[in-house]
Amino acid sequence: MTDATLQIQPKFPTHPPARPMLSRDADSMYWMSRYVERAEHVARLLLVNSNLLMDVGELAPTLQQRQWQTVLTIFRLDPAPAAAQAGGDGALGARVAQHMVFDPANPNSLLNCVTRARENARAIRENISAEMWECLNTLYWSVSGEDARARFEESPDDFYRHAMGASNLFQGLSDQTLPHDQGWQFTQLGKFLERVDVTCRIIETKFSILRSADNLMAGAMRNIHWMAVLRSCCSIEAYRRQHIGDMDPLTVASFLILERTFPRSIRYGVEMAHEAIAAIRAEVSPLAIDPAERILGRLAAQLEYSEMAEILGEGLPAYLTRLQNLVAEAGFAVQKSYFMH
Amino acid sequence: MFDKYEVNGLFDEMFDAPGQPRAHYGPVAARLRALGPGAFQKRVRMADVTFRNQGITFTVYKDAAGVEKIFPFDLVPRIIPANEWAKIEQGLVQRITALNLFCQDVYHEQRILKEKVIPPDLIYGARMFRREMFHVRVPKNIYIQICGTDLIRDKWGNYLVLEDNARTPSGVSYVLENRSVMKRVFPALFSAYKVRAIEDYPYNLLQCLKYVAPPHAGDPTVVVLTPGIFNSAYFEHSFLARQMGVELVQGGDLVVENSFVYMRTTAGLRRVDVIYRRVDDDFIDPLCFRPDSMLGVAGLMNAYRVGNVALVNAVGTGVSDDKAVYPFVPRMIKFYLGQDPVLPNVKTYICAEEDDRKYVLEHLHELVVKSTNESGGYGMLMGHQASQAEREEFAGKIKADPRDFVAQPIVELSQHPSYVDGHFEGRRVDLRPYILYGERVIVMPGGLTRVALRKGSLVVNSSQGGGSKDTWVLEEDTPAVPPSPLFSGESNPAADVIARPDATSPVV
Repeated sequence: MTDATLQIQPKFPTHPPARPMLSRDADSMYWMSRYVERAEHVARLLLVNSNLLMDVGELAPTLQQRQWQTVLTIFRLDPAPAAAQAGGDGALGARVAQHMVFDPANPNSLLNCVTRARENARAIRENISAEMWECLNTLYWSVSGEDARARFEESPDDFYRHAMGASNLFQGLSDQTLPHDQGWQFTQLGKFLERVDVTCRIIETKFSILRSADNLMAGAMRNIHWMAVLRSCCSIEAYRRQHIGDMDPLTVASFLILERTFPRSIRYGVEMAHEAIAAIRAEVSPLAIDPAERILGRLAAQLEYSEMAEILGEGLPAYLTRLQNLVAEAGFAVQKSYFMH
Repeated sequence: MFDKYEVNGLFDEMFDAPGQPRAHYGPVAARLRALGPGAFQKRVRMADVTFRNQGITFTVYKDAAGVEKIFPFDLVPRIIPANEWAKIEQGLVQRITALNLFCQDVYHEQRILKEKVIPPDLIYGARMFRREMFHVRVPKNIYIQICGTDLIRDKWGNYLVLEDNARTPSGVSYVLENRSVMKRVFPALFSAYKVRAIEDYPYNLLQCLKYVAPPHAGDPTVVVLTPGIFNSAYFEHSFLARQMGVELVQGGDLVVENSFVYMRTTAGLRRVDVIYRRVDDDFIDPLCFRPDSMLGVAGLMNAYRVGNVALVNAVGTGVSDDKAVYPFVPRMIKFYLGQDPVLPNVKTYICAEEDDRKYVLEHLHELVVKSTNESGGYGMLMGHQASQAEREEFAGKIKADPRDFVAQPIVELSQHPSYVDGHFEGRRVDLRPYILYGERVIVMPGGLTRVALRKGSLVVNSSQGGGSKDTWVLEEDTPAVPPSPLFSGESNPAADVIARPDATSPVV
């Protein structure tokens, strides 16, 4: 009976074939992750901005207005509806905050970001862990429940911090409760593409505003502003440990764009997004060349060998615009290759 | 908390007589008395928060207030001793066997029609009779693999079958979630009983689904097909897919090529072998049934008919749970199995038959009239509660389309204590056990106990304001735990710790 012995299969196959993933599920993983990341940025920007205005006291109305407009510009929003929010009365800051947190008509309001993240998660509950779902669902009820507005009025700061904390928790849970397979790679891809995009927008917007106002501000005031930029990117402590002393705008920009080890820098984000798409491609079609992988791979290499002087040569705004376009292109390429079969 | 409890002349699940709990409810009654309203209310909140945060919800149609709702959970468990359950189980196995033989017969030889046990026009007139299934061989000749049969108890405590759900019965996810919440909220009480486990249901379901896979599929790919996140039972679809570890797909994720079914994945098309579909027959294939369906897959029926994919339940099982066919089930059991039914039906008048119709029209005020084509508590007339105008409207409908209606005497469902505003009141309950028919028949011990939470209401459907309870089937006839000593000293409500035998406590 030698034949029989030959047919014995190992009871525990060491390398079971990778499980295929529904295109729709991949799509939802990606967008769930993007919206969670976006919600975190919305909350952080509002928090940093309101604290900044508290620090600098009563600014000239035009400057204050510009400061709030940056928040809208970063999320590519039209300032008109925000100004009209809440019947047009009340402080500008409060109106923008309402618009950015609760306005259902604002596609990037915190409420909308969390709702969409949850809707995506709901469609793929069998692909994510119970912990991730419960975290996101709890966040959803805390921003959409009956008492949400009252809690916001009581302390906007706590409200923002809660949302940021939930996003951090969610991302940590993704890393620690999902197998790091294709599905997880799609969440990585979504998270880092979103982060790179928003970070580009923050640098671009804040720099143009601050450059025009720079010579009007005293040294101390200027530092507070640059610190706010770093805070908006969750980078202040990491920056300080590396650059002791003055807040030099170019050093700040260089840190946010080119820093190798910091997870909030553009270079780091592009590298991680590239790694994710490369891993997905390797699992799905090992021999093919993927358009999104090519874009992100090239960009990662470029960032790795770039110097700040070169970037300034091209002009910071132009450089950042080009970066955003490439990231958007990569996003479209991902959709075309994996979500639209 | 039981001070004002009234038995109301009904069969009460917990109490023999006022203040006198049945033996198997002894420990529960003692525990609830010791707990007091404050501590009980705390546990109610604990359970509610768990349900909301875990997203254990269902969707109500036509509700402007918001579509997602928590299925109200009533914390007092319903308890069934082993001897009672043994009979229920026997009756359910008998019933699903007969219903399957009936489906097989009706779509092939039709002996039961030829021998005039069931009038043929009743079957041909059934909306759920699928001519498309005539002479189609289904895998292993099993039509109904998953069945949810609704049971009620009459005034004397006899279990009766109210209806079968042989298409896509839902609710099993709440059974499993209720149990896990119950264990969290009442650990000591739970461990005082020997409750039969239900947690292997998803495993059994998966085995049952794999059993009908086409022979060419070595390690079959099983999927759950859902209409999508807006369906009322979406939570359950997702829950079952997750518990079984299989993909949850929507119509748009599937495509039929060369009479094989594939799902669209990031790596291209992958073959699918077994579909646990939670989409009704009508919507499953726009080429075969409703052409306007966006929920199904074009060409699916072709793949099914040639045996390249298995659908669970089979297409056409609706003929067996039609409300007008229901009165014939006892005769079916006799016809196919030569046995008397273990679980009797509720007396049912068939409006299509002249004598019955006459009786129904004369006695509308004391009957429940049901439309044969509706479910979920829609399209019903509760004769004794309806106004004269409503009764007249229904009489008109019955005369216009008698085939569409059946009527039953109002059965006084058994009641069970439910928590209402700080104390307990009796509320009507039914029971839906779940039966799996694969290599063998497996009845999940327990099932979904649904509660009519509105006072005096007899309608337990979740869409009509019903709630649910955890249902405990015991391993023994009466619990070995002496009712009072274990809990009487447990006056500190926060200390709901698991009771363990130790030197000071001789009990357990």
